[in-house]
Amino acid sequence: MADNLNEQFSQIYDQYIDKIYRFIYLKVDSREAAEDITSKVFIKGWESYNDRGQDSNSMVKNPGAFLYQIARNSVVDYYRERGRTKTISPEISPEMADPDENPQNKAIISSDVAIIKKAIQKLDKDHQDIILWYYLEDMPVADIAKLLDKPAGTVRVMLHRGLKELKGIIQE
Amino acid sequence: MTKLTQGQLIDQIKTLKDIKPRKEWAVLLKSQILAEKNNGMEIIGQSAKFVGFSNIFVNIFSPRKLAYSLSVILFLVIGVLGFARYTVPGDLLFPVKKISEQSQAALSGQTSLKQDVAILNNRINDLAQVSRDGRTGNIPSTIAEIKTNASELTKSLKKNSVNDPQTIKDIASSLKTLSDVPGTDLTTNSDVKDLYQAVVQNQVSDLKKETLNDSQKNILAQAENLYEQGKYSEALEKILLIGK
Repeated sequence: MADNLNEQFSQIYDQYIDKIYRFIYLKVDSREAAEDITSKVFIKGWESYNDRGQDSNSMVKNPGAFLYQIARNSVVDYYRERGRTKTISPEISPEMADPDENPQNKAIISSDVAIIKKAIQKLDKDHQDIILWYYLEDMPVADIAKLLDKPAGTVRVMLHRGLKELKGIIQE
Repeated sequence: MTKLTQGQLIDQIKTLKDIKPRKEWAVLLKSQILAEKNNGMEIIGQSAKFVGFSNIFVNIFSPRKLAYSLSVILFLVIGVLGFARYTVPGDLLFPVKKISEQSQAALSGQTSLKQDVAILNNRINDLAQVSRDGRTGNIPSTIAEIKTNASELTKSLKKNSVNDPQTIKDIASSLKTLSDVPGTDLTTNSDVKDLYQAVVQNQVSDLKKETLNDSQKNILAQAENLYEQGKYSEALEKILLIGK
């Protein structure tokens, strides 16, 4: 039973570790912070998964949504702890934030990606999340709507507006 | 960045997919979480801290960083040793050169007498160098080193009978070089004088066992006479003229 639980969580972990890390990394200013928050997200996920005796265990029902929700809250907590009023810190250059990045990521961050990351960070929190989930994680609008507890139509409009705003920021 | 189409923008967003966590970190975190499953939530909570600590540990001792650190240390050591080669007594890095000389001599399997001879020779060359360069500030330290080395060498010569005539010839040659350094007459210094005495004594004793022609015998007699008068450096000059 315990081994089975391990195996199931192991699969969830493998499926979401990259996505959750990326989601967090794009919202914070350093790899260390992204790793720290991602650790907390998966530890909370594991605690919840262990508590699967409860019928309404959302971690078991929809682990992706559950992990993303923890990730969103954890990022908010992270900035609250640092005494920030904004969710993001666009003034901190992502290139400078990760001096110890691995060569692959270094190459990525050094180019247009840095501009995109910086621009995404200038969007408001919901627009950021919708764009990242839809375009980066290929999440259907219906799932995003559930995650944000908004109608699918509203999500589509927000997606459109967010993209337009992002384009405007990049072209500034 | 100007005139960006929606398609180009979406493509750029998708490039962010290449951002991934470090593999070793991801594996470590997973193993930490799963390993603590039987030890309760409190320990799981602690594992986050442990992962943080492990991260630091992995960061410091990761093979890549370790290799970088070793390379830097190696470069520094090579740089210091390389720079120290050109130092003379009185310079900041001279102790490094001294240790290096002693280590090289020990590793080469030289006898202690030969090591002393080689080191004395190096110091005499240093004195000649600083004298040529006009580095008057280094002269007192170099002379002090020579006195110490000469004293050590004299002790070695008096303690052990020297069967190797080449070693004595090497010392004699070094002393000749020393006497030729302008402005630094050390022949009257007691340590150096003792060394002259020991060398001349050895040389005279050796030459007496050799077959000499009349001219050489005559020079040897003159050298002995100078030795008796305590004029050791002059006696050595005569001995070197014999050319044996």
